Amino acid sequence: MPTPPGRRAPRRRGRRPAIIISAAAYLITFLVVLPILWITLLSFQQSDTILSDPFALDSLTLDNYRNALETLPLVRMYANTIIIAVASVTVGTAVSFMVSFALTRMVFRRRRTQSFLRFYLLSGLAVPVYVLLFPVYRLDLALGIYGTYLAVVIPYIAVSIPFNTLLLTGFLRDFPSELEEAAIMDGAGLFRICWSVVLPAMRPILATIVIFNVVYVFNEFPFVSILINDPDLATVSLAVSRFQGQYTVDYGGMMAAATLVLLPQLAIYAVFQRHVIAGLTAGAVKG
Amino acid sequence: MVWVSSPWKIALMVFPAFILFTAFFIYPVVYAGGYSLTDAAGFSGAEFVGLDNYLALAEDSFFRRSVTNTLLILVLSVTFLVPASFGLALLMQQRVRAAGALRALLFGPAIVAPILVGLVWVFILDPRVGLLNHLLEPLGVPPVQWIGSDSLAPYSIAVVFIWASVGFAMTIFYAGLRLLPAEVMEASSLDGASGWQQLRYVTIPMMRETIGIVSLLLITNVFKIFELVYMLTGGGPVHSSETLVSYMYFVTFTDQRYGSGMTIAMVVFVIGALTSLAYLALSRRGRLA
Repeated sequence: MPTPPGRRAPRRRGRRPAIIISAAAYLITFLVVLPILWITLLSFQQSDTILSDPFALDSLTLDNYRNALETLPLVRMYANTIIIAVASVTVGTAVSFMVSFALTRMVFRRRRTQSFLRFYLLSGLAVPVYVLLFPVYRLDLALGIYGTYLAVVIPYIAVSIPFNTLLLTGFLRDFPSELEEAAIMDGAGLFRICWSVVLPAMRPILATIVIFNVVYVFNEFPFVSILINDPDLATVSLAVSRFQGQYTVDYGGMMAAATLVLLPQLAIYAVFQRHVIAGLTAGAVKG
Repeated sequence: MVWVSSPWKIALMVFPAFILFTAFFIYPVVYAGGYSLTDAAGFSGAEFVGLDNYLALAEDSFFRRSVTNTLLILVLSVTFLVPASFGLALLMQQRVRAAGALRALLFGPAIVAPILVGLVWVFILDPRVGLLNHLLEPLGVPPVQWIGSDSLAPYSIAVVFIWASVGFAMTIFYAGLRLLPAEVMEASSLDGASGWQQLRYVTIPMMRETIGIVSLLLITNVFKIFELVYMLTGGGPVHSSETLVSYMYFVTFTDQRYGSGMTIAMVVFVIGALTSLAYLALSRRGRLA
């Protein structure tokens, strides 16, 4: 059908706009990435060049990295963070799964108890963790775990329970229980049902939960800044918070150290990108 | 499934989470509430003082400043972030080469530790070594105290928060846009709606719940801004750039006035509870719930 005069065909709309739209998208992305590019550039710059002419490209050096690798206990920082993350995320996911299974599959003598318990656990979603900092500090002192890995592992488990329970009970409610009933007919006990029937089916939601919590633990600062005082136990976040005091005016060294922390994170993000985005936005899209 | 529901099995499944959560979450909240009614400080004992801390807080000019700063950051970021990230999501829907890679890059700041975000931005905003003043220098602009002065610091913190959040908000909007029924969009195009009319009368009304959810998430996150202040200004000069939680941290842990600190914590608690209730009301109605 010929296009009536004076009325442009919709498909021809937008050769020019398409270029403008692309340009805008690239420009905005560039602006967002710019800070990262900037610290990467500085990490190759000598500290006095950073003050005089930071854009100079003829004096780039690897000295900062040599210096940072010598002064920065990278392996220990990562080991501490990974130990804390593995311990808290494993236990946090396990206990949340157990209680969520009980809340959605088991028959309580009183139904009221069940719905109250769910509400009780989910109420934690409303509480900003900052409220907990000082009381947990006192609790750690009283229990004699202050300054150890456990000092942060236990609060990390506790604060992960509400969100985990929200996602897990949501998933289990929508998930048919026929398979489990069949397994019971076959004589499977509670442990077998959970381990061999339910958990395998929950892999996607478990991945979401694990990613969300691992990112939280890696980036967490308020708790760890109060509960861990031994530099040997410092996590990545805690170590980064001390860079300004540690490197003072050695800006190049500081930027090299920052880049050494940032790059592995971004690399892992690049590999698991889709899962990470799904995990971090799960609260918004499903909550 | 009544077969596996003996009381001791239920107890076994429930107790680990219940005990951990009660001891390290609920009990601390109650403990904080109790402490807010005492004059506990340093190593001295705690005496019950009723609501004195709350009354003193209303007179505390640093506290007031931290509230105004938090609200300033809130207004700036939400009024800018919501439309900007929504627009960005619309932009990403267009035919742009490698749009997937751009979206991944834009989301990037959301996974960087806030403490590291703060450090990175020191090197943008610092009056001497920062990128911003280096770029402004050739234009004849004298060095600007982005984070050293009391007038600009809260604005700078808002800018950094916007940087760290825009990709995250865009991603949620983008997911929401993809859930819009294609038939409705096509029908409105066929009816001759212009791009603008479609946006105004179809897309935005259908995205109302997502817009509400993103706004509330951002509001919640503004009340959690701590690391940026810690790294960029340390709350200074003289507490002029504190946010609510950074001031609570200072009063409690640096100044060791535990009673007053927990009073601020209770303010934070009430705000958190209120925003969560709003969130709940919104997502109950919303399709995304």
